[in-house]
Amino acid sequence: MVAPLPPSHPLFEVEQLSLVHDAWGGQPPVTVLKNVSVSVERGSALVLLGPSGSGKSTLLRCLNRLAEPTSGRVRFDGRDIRSLDSRDLRQRAALVMQTPVLFEGTVRGNLRIRPAGTPGDFSEASLAAAVEEVGLDPKLLDRDAVTLSGGEKQRVTIARALLRDPQALLLDEPTSALDPPNAALVVESVSRLRELRRLTIVAVTHQPELVRRLGGSLLYLVQGEVLTYERADSGVTDARLQAFLAGELASPPTERP
Amino acid sequence: MSGAGSVLDLSLGQLGLALLLVGVVIAISAYQGLGIGRDLVVGSLRAVVQLYLVGLILAVVFQAAQWYWVLLMLAVMTAVAAQAATSRLARPMPGARAIAALALTVSTAVTLAYVIGVIIQSRPWYEPQYIIPIAGMILGSAMTSAALAGDRLQGDLRVRADEVEARLALGFSGREAVQPMARTALRAAMIPTVNGMMTVGLVQLPGMMTGQILAGSSPLLAIKYQLVVVFMQAAATALASLLFVRLAVGRYLTPAHQLRRYLL
Repeated sequence: MVAPLPPSHPLFEVEQLSLVHDAWGGQPPVTVLKNVSVSVERGSALVLLGPSGSGKSTLLRCLNRLAEPTSGRVRFDGRDIRSLDSRDLRQRAALVMQTPVLFEGTVRGNLRIRPAGTPGDFSEASLAAAVEEVGLDPKLLDRDAVTLSGGEKQRVTIARALLRDPQALLLDEPTSALDPPNAALVVESVSRLRELRRLTIVAVTHQPELVRRLGGSLLYLVQGEVLTYERADSGVTDARLQAFLAGELASPPTERP
Repeated sequence: MSGAGSVLDLSLGQLGLALLLVGVVIAISAYQGLGIGRDLVVGSLRAVVQLYLVGLILAVVFQAAQWYWVLLMLAVMTAVAAQAATSRLARPMPGARAIAALALTVSTAVTLAYVIGVIIQSRPWYEPQYIIPIAGMILGSAMTSAALAGDRLQGDLRVRADEVEARLALGFSGREAVQPMARTALRAAMIPTVNGMMTVGLVQLPGMMTGQILAGSSPLLAIKYQLVVVFMQAAATALASLLFVRLAVGRYLTPAHQLRRYLL
């Protein structure tokens, strides 16, 4: 008998997470994450901020177990992710990467790509609906994926993630490889989807507009450690962080003023 | 080798004349400022010492004609080949030498057993005159293909790591996610062999055939052996690169279907 879980447990619970890479190839050992703890409530958003190399992307990749922490624990939906099949976990917590990866073939082929036995509806109607959900024309399904613009590609990868009917979207700088108009379209898609599907979102982003639209908690990492954590309902106190979020700084502050 | 009597022996003086050919290379290097003069001298000296040592050892092994000496010789050749196959990788690969040793041992043992035991049927099986040169040629092909496969696999995984992670993130297993890179590495390892088969004999006479003809064999006998050599080298190439890639891929993946990206 498994005891029923309390109904309000967070979707992600990160406890005392540390990740150290062993010395390799002449490189000294690297501490990527150090004692990071945070939780993300169902349907809410968490934004990971910090200078490059601060461990944001690695923390994100620990949530769907693309990266393996050296110590600490990640729970998804109340369960230690090491007790789950990571392939299933990754369908339920879908990752959108900084540079969209599309495979050879049509957009349709890219949306259909999946391992055998993947649950979900991959019918033509469902593909068209997913494409429309990210603001693209279903006519695009027949296009060769390499002919799409950067922004279209990124939205196709979001549609591909949605077809798995995930509970969470993990966004790794989804707009940083895009020009401002395309970035705005991706921000728009993500914000709309979140409300529509009540998705939980964890995002690494430097894009003030995306941060503002997600309106979630902020976790500010420096050298793998949590420097600041601002809950969604509290006011942001760090002046430079505020300036960044107001769009007055091009990148988040790299050190505490 | 009935025609052995027709082979002209070479005196030390004649070998000394051959060294003059290296002198030409050194002169060109100096004239053009290539800066490889020192390597050429070292390379020439190594060639002289290595070949003389091998000649001496072979003479002893041929004389003794004992299976354990033959096996020891094969083991040493395999160890050297495993080292050479992995020494030119662009970046260190975890466990590369052990992987190469295993891939070369298995691919060579299988191919050699078939060629010696089933095709040539030399008796006893450890007859050094057959097994050592044939094993050497098999190992040489296996070594080259393992090196090519390893180099390509490592480079592709590094450059295409995002693609691997994208597949993993879509729920594919580690093996499924690296399949495209594994396939490219195998192709890269096997293409030189396939190309070689296309032009064999047209561009240059293969070394073994040349040797046999110089030693007095009829060209028609020599090509029969050469055909066996070409086919066995193709088999060794395919087996060695397949094994190497399968084992090497395992080092870059974890049981939880993760790419160990920091190793790349």
